[in-house]
Amino acid sequence: MPDTNLALDAAGLIRGVAAGEAGALRRLYDAHSSRLFGIAMAILRDRDAAADALHDAVLKIAGRAVQFDPLRGEAGAWLGAIVRNAALDLARARGRETPIDDPSLGDTAVAPEALERLAEAQESVRLRDCLAALEANNREGIVLAFVHGLSHAQIAARLEMPLGTVKAWIRRGLARLKGCLA
Amino acid sequence: MIPADPEALDSLAAEHVLGTLDAREAAEVARAIPFNAPLREAAAAWEARLAPLAGLSLPEAPPAELWDRIEASLAARGSAPAGPLRPSRLWKAWAAGATAVAAGLAAFLILRPAEPARMMTVLLTSRDQPAWLVESEGGGLRLASLNPRAVEPGRVQQLWALPPGATAPISLGLIPASGQASVAPGLVRPQPGMLIEITLEPPGGSPTGRPTGPILFIGRLAPARPS
Repeated sequence: MPDTNLALDAAGLIRGVAAGEAGALRRLYDAHSSRLFGIAMAILRDRDAAADALHDAVLKIAGRAVQFDPLRGEAGAWLGAIVRNAALDLARARGRETPIDDPSLGDTAVAPEALERLAEAQESVRLRDCLAALEANNREGIVLAFVHGLSHAQIAARLEMPLGTVKAWIRRGLARLKGCLA
Repeated sequence: MIPADPEALDSLAAEHVLGTLDAREAAEVARAIPFNAPLREAAAAWEARLAPLAGLSLPEAPPAELWDRIEASLAARGSAPAGPLRPSRLWKAWAAGATAVAAGLAAFLILRPAEPARMMTVLLTSRDQPAWLVESEGGGLRLASLNPRAVEPGRVQQLWALPPGATAPISLGLIPASGQASVAPGLVRPQPGMLIEITLEPPGGSPTGRPTGPILFIGRLAPARPS
């Protein structure tokens, strides 16, 4: 179960950072920076901007390590959420001017077979099954927003749908997802 | 406005985690989260639900020079990640708040016929409230609660020691509900500079052998003699 090992490893290293252990933050960075940089790249699609986001996120991770509570969330997800938020903040500050007609955008994440790449962890399998049960447009909107950081307006432009419809679909999709995962 | 209606609140938390809120809405939610427990819990639940989607992003190595930049920013902020055990922010807060308490207790302890190299500390909460008195005793440690408080249901408090220079804390066991505990000699040798902390852990204690929950109380052993 590599996922479990990864999680334990990350949790232990975050504890180390919190306790001021020498080198703990560097080890955490070495073990997770490629995954975390990939998360920022999917949103910003620009290496310089993604590096800025990861830089900001690592400073936040160092400062918040004492608040990390593994009983309230998995370590890898905690790290990923901090990086996503840093990337989203940057995308918003840039007016989300990231190109949405980028041919590579979406192909990697939105195609139904891409969901097969979700890890084999139980939570991932459940989420995949619940996403698969949504209408295609609802699923696509949710994945585009989470993975690529698209705004409602960008999703509406990409799906060629009215903005209000997209907002309502995403809201309904999220409510269905919650019910399915409950 | 953060809605009070649970359904609207949950919907807002979901969109916040999804990332579709605009800059103003997102900033409002981020500001409200520390003070709004239902919003915080709803957002945490959505983070947990959607977290596996992060696995769809393809890993990519960051620029090689990024770590140097991060390290420079950390150093500029006064918390270099490398080097000897650095005082954490909590420890700095502790040092500021505990000095007065410790001075008083040290003066009291020194009047007693003390064994050589008697050591003590007061463990403080993150808000500088004195919570535990820790004293070396016969080669072990003795703990007394100064300010008994209920432990979160379904959790236990676990005591740890981090000797100077060590990289991993040693578990000294779980703290009984009575608020009094002794650590037998041999498990750990009390020494000046040793960090003592109490963390919140699942029933039975940390499953990993290292602290996994938040630090509730922390302090550093010092010789109990007038300075």
